[in-house]
Formats: sequence, C-alpha cells, structure tokens
Amino acid sequence: MAEEDGTGAGAEDTALGEAMAAEHAAVWGYGTVGAALPADSRAQAAAAETAHRDVRDRLAELLQSRGVEPVPAEGGYALPFPVLSPVDAAGLAVVLEEGTAAAWVRVLDQAGQSVVRELAAGELAAAEVRAVGWRTAAGRTPVTTAFPGLPGA
Amino acid sequence: MAPSPAPAPRGFSRRALLAATGGLALLATGCTGGSPGDAAVSTEEADQLAGQVAVQEAVVAAYAAAAAADAELGATVADLARQAGEQLDRLRAAAPAVGSSSAPASSPAAAAPAGGDVRGWLRGQVAAAAGAHADACVDQSGPRAALLGSLAAGLRGHEAALA
Repeated sequence: MAEEDGTGAGAEDTALGEAMAAEHAAVWGYGTVGAALPADSRAQAAAAETAHRDVRDRLAELLQSRGVEPVPAEGGYALPFPVLSPVDAAGLAVVLEEGTAAAWVRVLDQAGQSVVRELAAGELAAAEVRAVGWRTAAGRTPVTTAFPGLPGA
Repeated sequence: MAPSPAPAPRGFSRRALLAATGGLALLATGCTGGSPGDAAVSTEEADQLAGQVAVQEAVVAAYAAAAAADAELGATVADLARQAGEQLDRLRAAAPAVGSSSAPASSPAAAAPAGGDVRGWLRGQVAAAAGAHADACVDQSGPRAALLGSLAAGLRGHEAALA
C-alpha cells in the first residue's frame, strides 16, 4: 500500500502499529491522570483521552483496511513513576504525549504515502499542543520543545 | 500508585521509546541516511527544504522583531526564540543546498505592530510557519519528513504557549 514514493508498505505499517501501541498506552494512562486530578480539573484529561481514543480507532480502521491486524492493548501497563498528586498527573500526561509524539515522528520517517504523513503530522502537532498544557500544569519550563518526538528533544 | 508488575508498554518504556525512535538518531546531525524512504534527495525536495529554511528564518526574525517592539514580551518568549533558532540550525544542516551556511537569519519578517498586539502578531507569524512546515512535510519523505513534521509541531506548541 505504501508504494507512493517507493517506501515499503511493511515499514509504514510497522510504524503505524507502533503508533497504535502508543495510543493504547495513552488511552490507558489518561485514566490514571484523570483519577489523580481534582474533579474540576479533569476536563483537560478527558478531552485528551477522547482524542487518543479517536486516533487509536482511526488507526485500527486504517490497518484493517490494509489487511494488517491492529496492535492490541497490553493487558497491563507500568507507570513510569508513582502518580500521587495533580503535579504527578500532569507529569504523566507529558510522558504520554511525548511517547505518542515519538511514535508519530517514527511514522513520518517510515511513511511512503502522503496521506499517512498528513495524518502523522497532524497527530504529532496535536500531541505537542497537549504537552504544552501539561508541562504548564506540571510547572515545567520551558513549556515548549524545539523538536517534539525527535531523539534528544 | 505502585508500578504494575505488568510489562511496560511501548508508550511508557524508555527502552521501547528509544527503539521506536532509534532510526531517527541520524537526524541529530542532519544526516539523512538509514530510512526506507531515504532515497537520494530529488531536486524538488531539496528546493522545498531550502524554502523551509527561509520560512524558519522568518520565524527567528519575527521573534527578534517582537522583542524589539516589546521588551517585556521579548523576555517572556526568550526560550521560544532560542528554540526557533535551534530549529533553524537543524533545518539548515538538513537542507542540502544550504547545509553549510552559517549566516545569521536574513529573511525579514513583517514589522511587528508598534504599540499594537505584538503577541498576537507574533503568534500569527509562528502559526503561518507551522502550517508551511506541515504542508512541506507531506511532500517530503524519510528523515526530512520527520524533521519538518517535528518543526511544525514545535511551532504549534509555540502558538499554544503564545495564546
């Protein structure tokens, strides 16, 4: 499928599968983020979870349309650190968004179809915009990064 | 909450993240080898990438113009301006036609509105550049697409921070 510019379909599909795995993790992780936030601060987490759920479903449809089995969610996930406060929750959300950003950059690197690059660029930008909000909530500076998703960013 | 004994997913695990992005390590030095889509850069792609250098130069110039027009804003966005410069450096390194250039940003930005909404003007300049990089990303491939997509996302983050 991904032969528009000579790139192999396998590499593109593999990268899309990795992105789907990252989206699964984000959907799960935002449950933890929301649970650690006060009730009046959960809207941001809920919106992010919905966004990740939507793109995960979109990826599943895309992979299925190519005859590729979508990557399933893991049976369980390990948190990178204890999430005991709203600041921890915001920090976890940053990890989730940066994880998906890295996966989408990988898709850009491997994609052969422009429509896939368009999808990846859009989701990468959305992840970074959400990350800016969470870095702010976590009290981090700077709240932006020059190279979202790239190694060493 | 104690970490689960379950295996870390790809979205969390540092090792997995490194594996997922390992193929992009060469981007750090502007090298474009190693990706399936990394065939020889066509003239069209090279020209387009050079065009994006000019777009990014305009962003750097816009931050400088905003700081000149509003010193307080300039101090507030100093980190963003620094990041814009870093983006320009990496883009120059990746663009075949201008990779060896060490000249300072030369593309003039439109003058910041003196006494006006400098922050809003700057945000508009950044947003326009983010859109241009994203559009160009779709027409590139391999590490060049990854770099342009990342730059576009970074500038979208700037746009959000400037809101």
